[in-house]
Amino acid sequence: MSDPRALDIPGLVRQISEANATIQTMLSGQIDAVVDSARRTPILLSDAQDALRESEERYRLIVETANEGIWTVDGDADITFVNRRFADMLGYDPEEMLGRSLFVFVSDAARARTWLQSGDSSRASAEHELGFVRRDGSELWALLRTTAIRNADGERIGVLAMMTDRSRRRQDEAALRKSEEQYRQIVETTTDGIVKSDALARILFVNRRFAEMLGFAPEEMIGVSLYAFMSDAARVVAADAFQRRGQGIHELIDTSFLHKNGTEIAVNIAGSPLFDAAGVYVGNLGMIRDVTDRKKLQAQLLASDRMASVGILAAGVAHEINNPLTAVVANLDYIADSVSGTAEADASSMRPRGSEAWFQKEIKEPLDDAREAAQQVQFIVRDLKIFSHSAGDEPRGPVDVEATMESSLRMGWNEIRHRARLVKQYSSVPAVRANDARLGQVFLNLVVNAAQAIPEGQAQSNEICVSTRLEGQRVLVEVSDTGPGMPPEIVERVFDAFFTTKAAGVGTGLGLAICRHIVNDLGGELSVRSEMGKGATFRVALPIAIPEEPTTHAPEQQPVAGRRGRILLVDDEVLVLRSVQRMLAKEHEVVAMSGAKDALQLCAAGERFDLILCDLMMPDMTGMDLHGELARIAPEQANRMLFLTGGAFTANAQRFLTETPMKHLEKPFDPANLRAIVGRLIQ
Amino acid sequence: MAPNAANAPAKVTLRLRLYVAGNAPNSLRAIANARTICERHFAATHELEIIDLLKHPAQAVADGIIVTPTLLRLLPLPEQRVVGNLSDTQQVLFALDSE
Repeated sequence: MSDPRALDIPGLVRQISEANATIQTMLSGQIDAVVDSARRTPILLSDAQDALRESEERYRLIVETANEGIWTVDGDADITFVNRRFADMLGYDPEEMLGRSLFVFVSDAARARTWLQSGDSSRASAEHELGFVRRDGSELWALLRTTAIRNADGERIGVLAMMTDRSRRRQDEAALRKSEEQYRQIVETTTDGIVKSDALARILFVNRRFAEMLGFAPEEMIGVSLYAFMSDAARVVAADAFQRRGQGIHELIDTSFLHKNGTEIAVNIAGSPLFDAAGVYVGNLGMIRDVTDRKKLQAQLLASDRMASVGILAAGVAHEINNPLTAVVANLDYIADSVSGTAEADASSMRPRGSEAWFQKEIKEPLDDAREAAQQVQFIVRDLKIFSHSAGDEPRGPVDVEATMESSLRMGWNEIRHRARLVKQYSSVPAVRANDARLGQVFLNLVVNAAQAIPEGQAQSNEICVSTRLEGQRVLVEVSDTGPGMPPEIVERVFDAFFTTKAAGVGTGLGLAICRHIVNDLGGELSVRSEMGKGATFRVALPIAIPEEPTTHAPEQQPVAGRRGRILLVDDEVLVLRSVQRMLAKEHEVVAMSGAKDALQLCAAGERFDLILCDLMMPDMTGMDLHGELARIAPEQANRMLFLTGGAFTANAQRFLTETPMKHLEKPFDPANLRAIVGRLIQ
Repeated sequence: MAPNAANAPAKVTLRLRLYVAGNAPNSLRAIANARTICERHFAATHELEIIDLLKHPAQAVADGIIVTPTLLRLLPLPEQRVVGNLSDTQQVLFALDSE
């Protein structure tokens, strides 16, 4: 055992060989762990190797998946590494680029050489812009960040560069701007209002539409509490809604906002809560739809529904009244006729008290009153019919403007009489081509509007004037009032749907819009002129009817004293049957039948008549059916038919009357008129 | 740990201490090799102590261990070290027999 301090050559040799053996052993991989003497802990080599492998893998992954192109060159500018991204950028495979000079791939080699060689040694990294050439020859502008690679002596042995495609970034920025622009456009042009508010309901954003809805500029609303734009009732609804929003509930609610001018705007809101990244409630997003018009429309639909029901009812009532009314009128006339005729023939028997005055007072006057009252009922029923025509097939024909206006005035009389005197200035005008029901509706609307423009109670100092006159090929009908008149901005809008100046509940704001629609539909025009303090005048201009179309209601008053004819009378109403028979029996032979089938049998058996008076609408077999059958078996008899109509036409009956040249008389008819027509036809 | 130490404590002429790192492959091989060599060549006169570096790092540091496996010859002096999995038997015997 030698002193370790003594110079012992063999010992030294042995130590060296031992150290060598140790190193060899270590290098041959026979080591499991190393002791970190500074920390006094063992490090397992397997762990360290795993970590190293992982770390290498991680870096490789980063380099290969990086969005940047990464490459290294050596001191001669030969490429020593490229990642896939860089190769893709230039359209090559990475293997194709390795070992080649960087200058092959740049568009300006001199410039590249300059910055590669003059590489700023004082700075760790630098930024450059450099043009590259792709495989297909196109140029790529790239932004490079370079780092010098140095050896252990600090000597520059190469450059590491990371580069981004500038052109691509420019495209991305453009796409982003476009997308933002798109969203902005959607938000600003949508017909829905959009509002964003914070957790305390303060407005953070409103789009133009929502601001317009409430009559403000968007800037005026930012930072203001949403509650400031609500009525007390709406605030209660909103407070509830915001609370639910805080609980994360999305929902649709119906509520209202206040317009700047104080009117209430009915809205439907789709509310969504907003949360930040941490899930904390930070506010609300609301999509607001103005449903004011929709609500008005709903109310109007309800009202028009009711009107339609009333119309159907009125049509039915008119039909039911017409038949007995025909009997009343016919019999009153018959009595009046008989009494005066008898009076002339045999004075003593019909005037027991022998007094002309007594006859006048006790017989003639009551009969005339009854006749007049019956006539009034007749008018009322006809008016009802005019206003209750069902929509759908609406035949147009010559319409007597004056008669239609008279009907409308009677209908509207209750509105007029407490407010104004009525002045009529009719000139004799030709019939217009129209539909009497629709035209009557327009006139009634204008008349009632005129009346409602005038306050109640000063009927003597106010005036409603209706006038008719011919102007070229048009008939002008004017309705003017002495009401307060309208300023220009209201005149502009009176024909707009839903526009009304009347108090809620009085007008729906659809009347004049519908009137204009109807008049335009008839080929006419509806216009207005008005000034403040000077009342208003509405004018309907309508084309006149084509002259050759005869008016069906034209009365023919001349009594015809002609030959005695043979008449077949067909009506299912026994009262009507008997009255008409009585009315005509003095002048003609009348065969009365209460059913079309019996009448048909009669004709089929060879009976012939000068005239067939026939009710149009009958159960079992209608007048139209009878006409059809007769046209088949006895065409000359079919041509001798005159129809009696009681109203409440079906669409079929309407078409029948307009499409065939048959004459018809409307119940209740004037007995004198009937006799005159019958006389003329038999002649 | 040292089965033969109890049988013949008085005759011990070779005292060995093997540092290993848990169940790492070279450590397991070193333990097997050390036992085989001792049985064959120093059957009655050796004492082999095996210490896990992972469990007793402080002792390893005290013994100046840098890597494992390391076989320490504590007796006879001078102290000798063999690094590795001890599969080179000639080399191990040379180290253990040397003065």
